[in-house]
Amino acid sequence: MGAHASDHPVPAILAEVKPAVMPRPVLVANNRDFHWITEKICGLVEGKTPVWWWWCFGAAAFVASFTIAGLIYLVATGVGVWGHANPVNWAWDIVNFVFWIGIGHAGTLISAILCLLRQKWRTSINRPAEAMTIFAVVCAAIFPVFHVGRIWFAVTPGWLFPFPNSNGIWQNFRSPLEWDVFAVSTYGTVSVLFWYVGLIPDLGTLRDRFTAAGNVLKARIYGFFAMGWRGSNRQWSNYEMAYLILAGISTPLVLSVHTIVSFDFAVSLIPGWHTTIFPPYFVAGAIFSGFGMVLTLMLPLRAVYRLDDLITQYHIDCMCKIILATGTMVGYAYSMEFFIAWYGANPYEGFAFINRAFGHYAWAYWIMISCNVITPQFFWFKAVRNNTTLVWILCLFVNVGMWFERFVIIVTSLARDFLPSSWGYYSPSIVEIFTFFGTFGVFSVLFLLFIRFLPIMPMSEIKMVIPAADPHGSTKH
Amino acid sequence: MSAPASTASLANKFLGAGLAGLALTAVGLFVSDPHGVALSYLIGISYWCAIAIGMLLLIIIHHLTDSGWSTVIRRQYEHGVSAFTWLAVLFVPLLLSAWLKPGFIWPWMDLAHPLHGGHGTVGQDVLYVKKAGFLNQGMFTGMTIGFFVIWIGLSALFRKASFTQDRDGDPKWTSLSRRTAAAGVVLTALSLTFASIYWMKSLEYHWFSTMYGVWFFANCVRGALAFAVFITVWLYARGDYKGIYNTNQFHTLVALAFAFVVFWAYVTFSQYFLIWNANVPEETFWYNIREHGDWLWVGMLLLFGHFFVPFLAWLVYRWKAERRPAFIISAWVAVIILVDICYNVLPALKDAHDEPLPFLSINLLWVLTSVVGVGGICVWSYLRSLATTKLIPIRDPRIVESLTHHEAAAPEPGQVVEGAH
Repeated sequence: MGAHASDHPVPAILAEVKPAVMPRPVLVANNRDFHWITEKICGLVEGKTPVWWWWCFGAAAFVASFTIAGLIYLVATGVGVWGHANPVNWAWDIVNFVFWIGIGHAGTLISAILCLLRQKWRTSINRPAEAMTIFAVVCAAIFPVFHVGRIWFAVTPGWLFPFPNSNGIWQNFRSPLEWDVFAVSTYGTVSVLFWYVGLIPDLGTLRDRFTAAGNVLKARIYGFFAMGWRGSNRQWSNYEMAYLILAGISTPLVLSVHTIVSFDFAVSLIPGWHTTIFPPYFVAGAIFSGFGMVLTLMLPLRAVYRLDDLITQYHIDCMCKIILATGTMVGYAYSMEFFIAWYGANPYEGFAFINRAFGHYAWAYWIMISCNVITPQFFWFKAVRNNTTLVWILCLFVNVGMWFERFVIIVTSLARDFLPSSWGYYSPSIVEIFTFFGTFGVFSVLFLLFIRFLPIMPMSEIKMVIPAADPHGSTKH
Repeated sequence: MSAPASTASLANKFLGAGLAGLALTAVGLFVSDPHGVALSYLIGISYWCAIAIGMLLLIIIHHLTDSGWSTVIRRQYEHGVSAFTWLAVLFVPLLLSAWLKPGFIWPWMDLAHPLHGGHGTVGQDVLYVKKAGFLNQGMFTGMTIGFFVIWIGLSALFRKASFTQDRDGDPKWTSLSRRTAAAGVVLTALSLTFASIYWMKSLEYHWFSTMYGVWFFANCVRGALAFAVFITVWLYARGDYKGIYNTNQFHTLVALAFAFVVFWAYVTFSQYFLIWNANVPEETFWYNIREHGDWLWVGMLLLFGHFFVPFLAWLVYRWKAERRPAFIISAWVAVIILVDICYNVLPALKDAHDEPLPFLSINLLWVLTSVVGVGGICVWSYLRSLATTKLIPIRDPRIVESLTHHEAAAPEPGQVVEGAH
């Protein structure tokens, strides 16, 4: 368009513009100012370590030890300690991998995609969500790395990562499993970069505050990671551009990661796996489970740290609605799979889905449907969204449901494939159960360290969305 | 000054063009292969339904996300969806053909219809028999009527709420539209999915793909966004939008269109790749027949024209923010969506050797007359509606936010917006 108002008269219709009053919710409640935000968020890092934190950390470390013990036992003994056996040669390892990778997606969605969509409500939750992404990727990476048994073989002779060797042995580059290696490692790297770039201004603030308080050691540590941040105009300009570029890179990356994860199954011929809707359906499912985990973590954090003014009911509302939307998309995909399995008239496909719903694993299927399709429908109701305890409980169901989704897809199809004579029933070994259980401890340990030592919210970004940052007092967002 | 300058003369021209196009298409039934003409007419209907469904979806998304920036554009979608009533009327000949001459368009409607290659009839085809509960005339007719009831009903609710709010300024209409959108998104998603399956996919009823509804959804929204660019550029050129519509709104609109370029490519590539990689004959045949003759080049045209051309062009900021390049690229997108629908429909026309009839044939003429015919009526409906209301929803709670999109200051209600350019 490019024309200016002075080029032509202002149309009379603009004089008739008298909008109905429907104010937007505030993003920071109780008119909190810049100073309050700084004190609140820095105070969590600067204050004495709460007793509850030590209890939680101890418990999380104990749970994490199950994973460590399980993995040591696996490496010492062999992958036979897991319950895999013909015909189910993929089971909890890849179920857990896909589960954790999916969890991570909400962080990138909030930090990158909502950034590109200019959704200002993301500011209060993007930092912990990004942290969650990184920790979830760490938990996810455990399974493909350790499923090779002798983990050093992952690098040399290169069972996972390409490694030039004298035998000329290479991975199958046409396999989506190999694409996963590249996609997930790239995703992990970019997620760390994105998270770290966002942290820099806040690390600079903490450095300055520790310097003023005379705490030289902490000032030096935070100062080292703040990389000389001074908050100059030039630095802000570079920072904003870097952030935007990383958001632009992360967006296709996050979508590609779960698309490739879906290819792990969809490129094959196994009934129930080969379905063209898998890529967008997996992405929707990942966002669904990721938001479930964000709320699972943020609601207790909000209560414990009294962050109600920063994570308002509006934030909870928005996240519940995203869970509702993505859960409904997942429901659409389940229905479409079922319908096309019938419509396609392929007896193997038809059987795979009937077997899921009414076969030996029907219990898992109906847990999946209940948690992923029915549970989010409660979020249609404002009264439910306003009840944080209920929201938290429903989000737990979402987390459970999404784990079961991967279990249903992977195990039911393998357990009952084309050849009835090779059918079997898979049950996990105690080592598998403990190893997976322990990853919640690994995740919690990392998350607890994050909330203890780093600013859990981006102070600078939150300050930009409060009315005080707008000289005209606009509250639009 | 409230409503845009008169469009009566232009509307009449489009009505004339529409009637002429429909008349020519009808003539085609007698002077050409009637099967090809009928499928061409189906393409015309499907194409314009896609654009109207896309506009309905954009209204729904606007309300669900409580969007601010798109408020000044939303009114144009509300006029656009007025076409559903006429599209329903124009669909009647297709429904009549389903009953009066079963199998004429959709082969599965005639159980005695011979299968290609001399493999018996539809009624003897085990693949048809398995899905006969879904693919039958009664279900087809009932579902199609249901689709139009949903689309017309939702459109009427949104239009009524928006137009009434212009008069009384009651925020309850916004709340009502939000609730309508919540129910509407589910209904529209399901209806467009099954419409695409019944109208297009079932022409080759052996084939199946769970992605098909998502593919149609992508084309619907892309088409609606392309037409939103045409409409807003046209209104700006006429002077109606001057002082109302600014570069930022336009850029955001085209950026959304750009996002859907990528989404379409993602969906279409995923469908193709997964079928190609699995290499199962019952799926690959659909693509295989589209590699015969000039259909291979149509496929290439879609690959480059539907994705690479708009994608690379719209990577340039200026081409998203300036009217002329954005208009040209949108026009290209609008044409290529039509080609995409042709790619899905026309290969169902087979010659004596079971090969698809070529793309470059007389059928393209009937596609053209059908698209002009149905489109003329749709544009006429839009223009007729445009003249009846305010140009923008002046009492919408987010209208000032929209007028000042990306500007620091939000003026007080009723204040003339300075610099709203």
